Amino acid sequence: MHVRHSRLHGFGRAAAALAAATTVSLLLVGCGDNGAGGGTSAGGVVNLTMLTGFTGPDAPSYQALVKQFNATHPKIHVTMTAQPWATIAQKLPASWATGQGPDLATPSSDPGSIFTYIKTNSVLPLDSSVGTGTGQIDSGAFPAPVKSAFTVDGKLYAVPANMATLVLYYNKDMFSAAGIGAPPATEAEFIADARKLTTGSGGRPSQYGLSLADNNTIQMWPILQWMNGGDIVGQDGCALVDSPASTGALARWSALVAKDHISPVGQSGADADTLFSSKKAAMEINGPWAAAGFRSAGVNLGIAQVPVGSAGPVTLASTVPLMIARTTKHAAQAEEFLAWYTGKAAQTQFSKLSGFPPARTDLGSAVASDPTVAEFAKALPHAKLYLAGQADATRIDSDVYVPLIQKIERGADVASTASAAAKSIDSLTGCHKS
Amino acid sequence: MSSTPLSPARPRTRRPRLNSAYLFILPSVLLIGVFIAEPIVQSGWMSLHDWTVGESHHTFVGFDNYTALYHDHRFWNALRVTVVYTAAVTAGQVLLGLAIASRLRRTTWYTALLRTAYFFPFIASLVVSGIVWKFLLDPQVGLVDAWLSRAGVTPPDWLQSTSLALPTVIAVGIWKNVGFTMIVLLASMQQIPPDLYEAAALDGAGAWQRFRHVTLPALRPALLFSTLIATVTGLQLFDLVFSMTSGGPIFHTESVVMYLYQKGFVEFEMGYASAIAWVLFVVILAISALQLRLSRYRDAD
Repeated sequence: MHVRHSRLHGFGRAAAALAAATTVSLLLVGCGDNGAGGGTSAGGVVNLTMLTGFTGPDAPSYQALVKQFNATHPKIHVTMTAQPWATIAQKLPASWATGQGPDLATPSSDPGSIFTYIKTNSVLPLDSSVGTGTGQIDSGAFPAPVKSAFTVDGKLYAVPANMATLVLYYNKDMFSAAGIGAPPATEAEFIADARKLTTGSGGRPSQYGLSLADNNTIQMWPILQWMNGGDIVGQDGCALVDSPASTGALARWSALVAKDHISPVGQSGADADTLFSSKKAAMEINGPWAAAGFRSAGVNLGIAQVPVGSAGPVTLASTVPLMIARTTKHAAQAEEFLAWYTGKAAQTQFSKLSGFPPARTDLGSAVASDPTVAEFAKALPHAKLYLAGQADATRIDSDVYVPLIQKIERGADVASTASAAAKSIDSLTGCHKS
Repeated sequence: MSSTPLSPARPRTRRPRLNSAYLFILPSVLLIGVFIAEPIVQSGWMSLHDWTVGESHHTFVGFDNYTALYHDHRFWNALRVTVVYTAAVTAGQVLLGLAIASRLRRTTWYTALLRTAYFFPFIASLVVSGIVWKFLLDPQVGLVDAWLSRAGVTPPDWLQSTSLALPTVIAVGIWKNVGFTMIVLLASMQQIPPDLYEAAALDGAGAWQRFRHVTLPALRPALLFSTLIATVTGLQLFDLVFSMTSGGPIFHTESVVMYLYQKGFVEFEMGYASAIAWVLFVVILAISALQLRLSRYRDAD
């Protein structure tokens, strides 16, 4: 009996020691090497790592571009990985600030995100390699709003990883059924068509004229304000959302939604796309990524420029910033990659592959052969970024602008709601109106 | 077998022996220390700073984050939403769970089928349930509204209406969790000795009296457990609103954790987000302590 007991006891102690040892080794494994960026392999090839958020249907177009770069640059090898935007947003700030993480990355689909990284001194200014020569970043060819959004305190910090403009998608079958021959060209026609294409009764149309989204979406409402010379916030950080031009547009369009029911209330971007795809709305303002989905849903798709209001042609531009980590060991090679990536040949190629317009303003003729791409490229010269250059863009959007639109869509008084929103914006940006 | 001991008797030493039990709990203690205790302490420290992710230097601000929180009406709104949700879901879940459990007490093939049906939503993930319900309740392409309009009823905008969004989320929350409460109460109910009911019946107790004076007292521990778990889970509301409404429309379903996520992981204000987390921690602690205290008081009767 004693023997058995003693053995068991010994076994128990050994097991406990094993458990303890396993724990310690697990902890040690957790502290393994996860140092910054790529390195140099034996053949003298510089390895660069690039983290992007391109997980959607456009991902192969970026991979193709990277593959082509690697094939034409034997001394540099870029490895592109893709993760969801939310994951990047959680990981990248800390890893870059502590000198780890990828050499190159797209931190967010929101161009305003670059401020976070500039503030924490995590990214490399690109000015030393800007120029028009070979191997230089030709920032002069970027669309002007993109260049200015990526320039902070006179320094360029990012290049556009892609460039998108918003156009008016319309359902040709619904237009012909309503007896409308052409897509609307002016705001007046836009409103008339939206009303005419809204059918049904009792505040619940069976078909909507327009599919507008107000949350978790590419921004549609700012375009309606810009059409009439309104805006959200000025370059000085002072709110413009309560200006007469702004409130006029907001009042007109919110009444169309709240009273005439031209669009459902409270849609997210995905809801708005579903509505248009399921042939329950005749028009939607959206970017190039949406075209393939609409076509595969069987929509007889028409693409036109956003109608022109009293302030002239305007639409929304969207761009994803691509930046270099300040602590990268291979800054020169990373800059060479960015120069090639934003160059004429690569952008023409990318535009053909992805259906996105090129991120350069000097390639109009090169992409004119594809009518879809040409339509997006045509909108480039007058496309504006949402809340460009605002360090507090995220908060202005989520705390003020989105709630403002949601309130007026549900019938809140436009003048007082907009004036309260303006006060909130001013307190966020620190604007003091004299 | 020889009767000689394998090792000679060692002289007694005064050195305290290491109890091997400590070695067994070491893995758990280390894991809890690294993944639970340390982050809690760290977040408390962060909540005293103006702490933006990635910054090289974090300014110490004392209790400024808590003061700002006190004046933040969006936080108070989130707290109100969370408390309303928790109270409604806990009450609904426990009362409905109790009712269902009483009805399905006898085991037949039919009640077994129903029990499975009621329990099924609980094993699906909250996010999946949220997304499925979002689709079902969509005013344009959703099944529920399509059926309602076919039946001649004007279907409401369940999740887009400021007055209906929170009740809708509450209803889904109850639907999701009622099966769990039902199973816990059912198990406890089946432990009640049948002779108690027999004795009560002999004493002339009717069905309601048997339920009131036999079933309910016997279920007290299970009811307390269900209420406590439902409350703590409810106060941590996130997945359901994140997938169904993103906190909208106009913050009408924004819970405390949803707001915490927005501040910490969208706007990177970790200091402020940590302060929110600590306030929530204290609220959960206080409510749980209160519930335990109240039930202990009743036990002393």
